[in-house]
Amino acid sequence: MATLAASRIPASALWRHVRAFALSLTRPREPETLPVSIDRRRVYVLPTRFGLFYATLLLGMAAGALNYNNNPALLLCLLLGGTGLASLIAAQMQLTGLGITAIDAEPVPAGQLLRVRIHAQADPSRARRGLRVDDDDLLEAALLNLEQGRGEAELTLQTHQRGWLDVPRLRIFTTRPLGLARAWTYFWSDAPLLVLATPEAEGPPLPGGSGEQAQSRLHPAGDDVHHLRGYRPGDSRRAIAWKPSARRGTLLVREYEQPSGADVVLDWHQLGNLAYEPRISRLARWIDEAERDGRRYRLNLPGRPALGPDRGAAHRDACQRALALLPPSAGFAP
Amino acid sequence: MAPTPVLDRTSRHWALLAAVACVVPLLLQLPITLAWPIAAAGAVTTALAWRKPLPAMLRLLLTLLVIGAVLSVSGARFGRDTGCALLAAMLAIKPSETAKLRDARSLIGFSLFAPFATFLLDQGPLSLALGLTAAVGALAALQRFADLEAGDAKFNVPLRSGLRSVLQLMLIGLPLAVATFWLFPRLASPMWGVPDRALARPGLSESMRPNDWLDLMTDDTPALRVRFFGPTPRQDQMYWRGPTLWRFDGEEWTRPLWARGLPAPETQSASMQWDYELEVEPTDRRQLVALDLPLHAPANSELLGDYSLRAARPLASLTRWRMQSAPPRRHEPKLTVMLRQVALDLPEGFNPRTLALAHQWRREAGNDDAAIVRRALEWIRVEFAYTLDTPPWGRNAVDEFLFETKAGFCQHFSSSFVVLMRGAGIPARVVTGYAGGYRNPLGDYWVVRQSDAHAWAEVWLPDRGWVRVDPTAAVAPERIYDTLQDRAPGSDGLLGDFGMPAWNVRDWMRRNWNDLVLGFDADRQSRMFRPIGLGKVDGQQLAILFSIAALLALLWMAWLSARGQREPDPVLRAWRQLGNRYRKLDLERLSHETASAWLDRVARIRPELARDLRELSHRFANWRYAEHQPGTRSTRAAKDLVHALRNHRPKRSHL
Repeated sequence: MATLAASRIPASALWRHVRAFALSLTRPREPETLPVSIDRRRVYVLPTRFGLFYATLLLGMAAGALNYNNNPALLLCLLLGGTGLASLIAAQMQLTGLGITAIDAEPVPAGQLLRVRIHAQADPSRARRGLRVDDDDLLEAALLNLEQGRGEAELTLQTHQRGWLDVPRLRIFTTRPLGLARAWTYFWSDAPLLVLATPEAEGPPLPGGSGEQAQSRLHPAGDDVHHLRGYRPGDSRRAIAWKPSARRGTLLVREYEQPSGADVVLDWHQLGNLAYEPRISRLARWIDEAERDGRRYRLNLPGRPALGPDRGAAHRDACQRALALLPPSAGFAP
Repeated sequence: MAPTPVLDRTSRHWALLAAVACVVPLLLQLPITLAWPIAAAGAVTTALAWRKPLPAMLRLLLTLLVIGAVLSVSGARFGRDTGCALLAAMLAIKPSETAKLRDARSLIGFSLFAPFATFLLDQGPLSLALGLTAAVGALAALQRFADLEAGDAKFNVPLRSGLRSVLQLMLIGLPLAVATFWLFPRLASPMWGVPDRALARPGLSESMRPNDWLDLMTDDTPALRVRFFGPTPRQDQMYWRGPTLWRFDGEEWTRPLWARGLPAPETQSASMQWDYELEVEPTDRRQLVALDLPLHAPANSELLGDYSLRAARPLASLTRWRMQSAPPRRHEPKLTVMLRQVALDLPEGFNPRTLALAHQWRREAGNDDAAIVRRALEWIRVEFAYTLDTPPWGRNAVDEFLFETKAGFCQHFSSSFVVLMRGAGIPARVVTGYAGGYRNPLGDYWVVRQSDAHAWAEVWLPDRGWVRVDPTAAVAPERIYDTLQDRAPGSDGLLGDFGMPAWNVRDWMRRNWNDLVLGFDADRQSRMFRPIGLGKVDGQQLAILFSIAALLALLWMAWLSARGQREPDPVLRAWRQLGNRYRKLDLERLSHETASAWLDRVARIRPELARDLRELSHRFANWRYAEHQPGTRSTRAAKDLVHALRNHRPKRSHL
C-alpha cells in the first residue's frame, strides 16, 4: 500500500497533528464503492495564499474608502470583492455534480510506476476544465479535463510489492477561475489495484517441454517451407514466392514452420531450492518468456488447481495474477 | 503541491498589460513632471528585465532612486498625491521581477491599488471608466494565471472569452456589491483625516495674487451645482460669497490668520430668504461659499468672523450643503476699532497717485462715504474696460491700472477699488467667490463653473455695515472686450449649435451620478428609506437590513452560478431546444439518442410529425457531421439552420 508518508513541506509536529486531525474530519472517512457523485457537502473551499493577500488588500481598500467616504473607491473595492466571492462559488461549482465513475490501471510489476486512470463524468452543461487530481500529499497532480461531460486523469503511483494495492484517498482540486480559492474534494475507492510480481532480471532458461505431442507453429521467419498460400494484404513483400506466383498468375506467399518445444510445466514445487519470493520472481519471468516464445505452459501453484496448459494474453494474465496474489511468505510453509 | 510555475509568454503579456491598464488612470491624475518620468521608468525596467530578472542590488537601487526622484519633484510636503505618485513609481519598477507566477500575482495585487489611489485623487467619469477597465483587465490576468497553474494554459483561451467569463463573474458578484454599497453602515465622521494634496487644484483660496486667476477663469469645469427650494435670486444677483481678504502687501491680498478665530458678528437680514442645496466639487480646501450671508452654519462647518464658511474637513470628495441665506439689511453695523484699523491699512510707499486721488475725493465729498463710492463706480463706468489680456503687475500696479491701462478683470477692479476706498478712509475689503451661474433646463439646477470665479469688494458704511460693491459690474457693457465669449457653456465647442444641449445633457448625467453615487454618505443613507415611510434608520437597523440583503444576494449568486452554462454553439443550442419542445408529446430527444435514432422513434410513434422533422434533422446531421467542405459551414448556412430549428414546432393540430 502506498502510504501517506511525511509531507514534502517540512512542518512542525503541531502543524502535522492539526492537519491530520482536520483531514480526519473531512469526507469521506472510509473507502467507498465507485461510482460516487460529488455533492456540495463534500466539497471544501478555502482561500489560497494569494486569496488571503487579495482579501487583505480589499479590506484595506474598504477601510480607506469608508473612512474617506470615497464612493468610487468603495464601489471598485466591492466589485472586486463580489467577483472574488463569485469565484469562490464558481470554484465549488467546478466540483459539485462531478461523478467519479471508475478507477483502473494496467497492472505493472512491483517497483514500476502504476498509471492509474480516474474516469470522471458530469453534466456537460458546465465547463469543467483544469481540475487536478493528487493524494493531497506526495503525488504530482494530474490534469483532469472534462470534454463533453467526460474525462479521465492519469495519476502515477509508485508500487512497492506485489498483490493488491489500496488506492489512497485521492483529492480533486482546482484553483480556477481566479486562483483566489482552492476548492477540493476527496474520493476514496475501495477497489484495490493489482500489482504483479517482479520478474527476476536473469536466471536459468525455461525448463524443457514435458508433453508428448511436439508443437509446431507457423512462423514467417522459420526454416522449413511449409506450404504456399494466396497473398493477403499485410503480408511481407519478402515472403512472396515470386516464381510460383509467376507460374500461377496470382501472388503466392510462402509459409514456414518452426518446430517448437512441447508444453512447458512451470511448477512451484520443482523450485524447492529457492526462497519464497525469488521463486515467485522466477516463475513470473518464465511466464513472460514462455509467452514470448509462443509456447504452451502450465502453472502449478500450491493450494490451487493448475492453470493451463495454454497460451495467449488471457492465460498469461491469469497466471501472473495468480502469482501476484500468492499469500505473503509469512503465513506459508513451503 | 508543485512549486510556483514559471510564467509563460502569454501570461506575462497579460500581467504587464493589466498592470499598465491599472497605472495609466493614476498617471493621468499626477502632474506631468511626475507622470512622464514614472512611465519612462516603467518602460525601461520592463525592457531590461524582459529576458532575466534584474539583480537584487539593482532593484534596491532603482527603488531608492525612484523614491528620491518622486520626493524631490513633489517637494518637502508629503500629501495624498505624493503617496499616490510613490505608489505609481513602485508599480512602474515592479516588473523588474516577473519570472514566476507568484511575481505576476503580486504585481496584479499591488496594481489593484492604483485605480483605488486614482479615485482618491479624482472621481471624474474618465477616471471611473479607466479604473473599471483596469479592474476587469486585472481579473482577466488572474484568471489566466489560474489556468496556467492548473496546467491548462495550453488551451489558450482567446482574449474575448477570457474577458467574457470575468465579466460574468463580476455580474454574479454585482448584487452583493450593490447591496453592500447602499446598505453597509457608513461612517458619519472619518476615523482619520484625509491627507491633503501637496499640489493644490485651482480653486478659491485664502489669498489672491494678481493674474493667478487666469487659469481659473478659463476653466470651464463645474465648481458647484445648486438646487433652489422656493425662490431663486436673479442671475446678476447671485454672488457666491467666499473668503474675504483684508491684508494687502502691495502685491498679494491675503486673509489674516486671526480673522478665522473671530466670532460671527451681529447682522440683521432682510425678510427675503433663499433655501438651497450646494453640491461642491472636491477642491481639497476648506473654504465654502454661500449665497450672500448664510443664516447659520450647516453641520460640519463653522461661520467665521467675516461671515464666510469654513468646512470642518478639506473637501476631498463631493460634498453637499443645505443652506439658508438672506441678503443683509445691516451687516456688522458696529465695526470694532481694531477691525476698522485693519480694513483701512495700506502698505507704505505704494501707489502714490491713487492715494492722492483718494485724498482729493475725500476732501471734495466731506463725510459722505457713499458719494465717494458712487463717484468711483461712475468713473469706472465711463472710462474702464474689461479684458483678460492684461500686462504683468508692476510695483505700483494700482496706479498703473487706474491711470494708464484702465483695463483688466475682476482681480484688478476689486483690488484697485479697495485700495482707492482705503485711501479715502473708507474701510473696505476684497471678497472672493463666484458670481452668476448657468441654469441647466434639464433637471432645473444651476451650475457655477470655475470660470465664474469672481472678486468684488465690500465697503463699510456707517449704519449699514458692510455693503457689497462690484466694481467690475460697473464697466459699461460696450467696453467688455476679450472676455469669455459666451456665458453659456459648450457653445464654442466643435458641436456648434448642438454644443449647449450636449453640455446640458452631459452635466445633467454627471449631476445624477453625483447625486446617486458620489454624494452618498451616512446622512443620505439614514434618510434612504424615507420615501417608503421608514423614517430615519439607525446603524443597528441598517446592519440588520444589510445582513438580509447580503444573504439574499449570496443566495442569488449561488443560484446564478449553479445554472448550467449556455451552449456556446448556436446551432447545437437550437437543436437542443428543438428536442425539448417534444417533451409535451413525451417524445423529447434523450441525451444519448442520435438525431436519426430519435427521428426513427418519432416516426414510429407519431408518423405524421416526422415529415418536417426529418428534413431538419437531416440538415442538422449534415451540418454537424458531414465532411468539412468549403461553404458547408458558412455562417450564413448556420444562421439559416438556426432560424429553421428555432421556428420548428411539433404540429399539435393532430393531438
